[in-house]
Amino acid sequence: MSNIIAGDANATGWRSAMQKFGGFLAGMVIPNIGAFIAWGLLTALFIPTGWLPNEELSKMVGPMIVNLLPILIAYTGGRMVHGQRGAVIGAVTAVGVIVGSTIPMFLGAMIVGPLSAWLLKQVDKVLDPITPPGFEMLIGNFSLGILGLGTAMGSFAGVGPLVTWVSDRLGEFVSSLVSTGLLPLASLVIEPAKVLFLNNAINHGVLAPLGVQQATETGKSILFMLESNPGPGLGILVAFWLFGPKVLRGSAPGAIIIHFLGGIHEIYFPYILMRPVMIVAAIAGGMTGVATFMLLGVGLVATPSPGSIFAYIAMTPPSDIFTMFAGVLLSAAVSFFVGMLLLRLSKAGYDDLEEAKAASKKLKKG
Amino acid sequence: MAKISGSDVTRLIIACEAGMGSSVMVAGQVRKALKGTNVHVSHSPVNLLKDENPDVVLCQRGLSGRAKQAVPGVPVIAFDMFLGDPAITKLIEDVKNGAEISDE
Repeated sequence: MSNIIAGDANATGWRSAMQKFGGFLAGMVIPNIGAFIAWGLLTALFIPTGWLPNEELSKMVGPMIVNLLPILIAYTGGRMVHGQRGAVIGAVTAVGVIVGSTIPMFLGAMIVGPLSAWLLKQVDKVLDPITPPGFEMLIGNFSLGILGLGTAMGSFAGVGPLVTWVSDRLGEFVSSLVSTGLLPLASLVIEPAKVLFLNNAINHGVLAPLGVQQATETGKSILFMLESNPGPGLGILVAFWLFGPKVLRGSAPGAIIIHFLGGIHEIYFPYILMRPVMIVAAIAGGMTGVATFMLLGVGLVATPSPGSIFAYIAMTPPSDIFTMFAGVLLSAAVSFFVGMLLLRLSKAGYDDLEEAKAASKKLKKG
Repeated sequence: MAKISGSDVTRLIIACEAGMGSSVMVAGQVRKALKGTNVHVSHSPVNLLKDENPDVVLCQRGLSGRAKQAVPGVPVIAFDMFLGDPAITKLIEDVKNGAEISDE
């Protein structure tokens, strides 16, 4: 396990490749999290089961999730590939997938945004050198407009229905995991991947788009909670604080605040990377959390980002507040106990940061 | 194997995956420590490092490979812990004292 966990910092490794691809997907979502939060708060407050049900204001919920958020994602994805022009054609093309499907088109927007921008980039490469002086604006605007017409029509006819089909299958797969009780097994993959800094890729690249689809159907989704649960990290940091190597204890209380209240989970990854066996505690805590959420039917209305307990409270529907806390605290307790045992058992460990680092470097090379 | 003298550093960029979470936190600490110097301390997503035109990059070890790929020729200093890592302290000292900074 240790060589899987330690991975290597080599830019050509599988880990970098996955980080890059996942980072690309997450890069389309993360800059727009503020819009997700506005939508999430709007939903949590004003839908019929919310804190302050209001029929008039809740009219904004649908258009935001169906139109605004996918367009923002495609816009951002297009901008990553081809600057402002890429952003514009990405947004135009997104309307094709949105109208060409019956579900919120996050996956579709993540595909057509960058793809249409890439096509425009190729067209610009051909047209730029042969554009006569003074015609730049005319040709620039019409090449984007005409290509955008084409990509929007293509998305409407082809990508929309195709992605609807794929999303439906993925959704069915997830519900089958829930109905067969296998969903907690997801932690076996999620927790180790998280510690390898694939956290954003998993949450924003994969789980959030699927969760949004579920949330529009049922009002909430457990998928938002699989990666973002701050419980396991809390348990691990407390275990390090009380039972960890002396040199790591001092920084643990600060890390606990930054992790649990501030929602920056990255802060606990290095603790695990220095003691790879602690991943077992993270997995145990993660599975406990997912199992609790699943059995008690807990879900969040939108993705909590960053994964702070405050974001959790804000995104939890009123009916689920206590069960949400139950899952978070149980997962923290389990990862704390498992972590404590593991730290006790490996007591002979490093009491010196330099020593620990040398060992962690050795693991990485090996 | 890139290096630079600490006195030539004017742009110190901290990178993380999204450029919005952990890097902002570390940047805050480093900026505080370098207050009063003319070093510009900022944060960036690792894949957009080039746009920041850094003299030195600071990032978690798990991302250092990608950071090097993003800005070849720029020293990339890797740290392990987000709080109280000696590598961060050393970089701050080296910048202040104008010592040589090298990424191996």
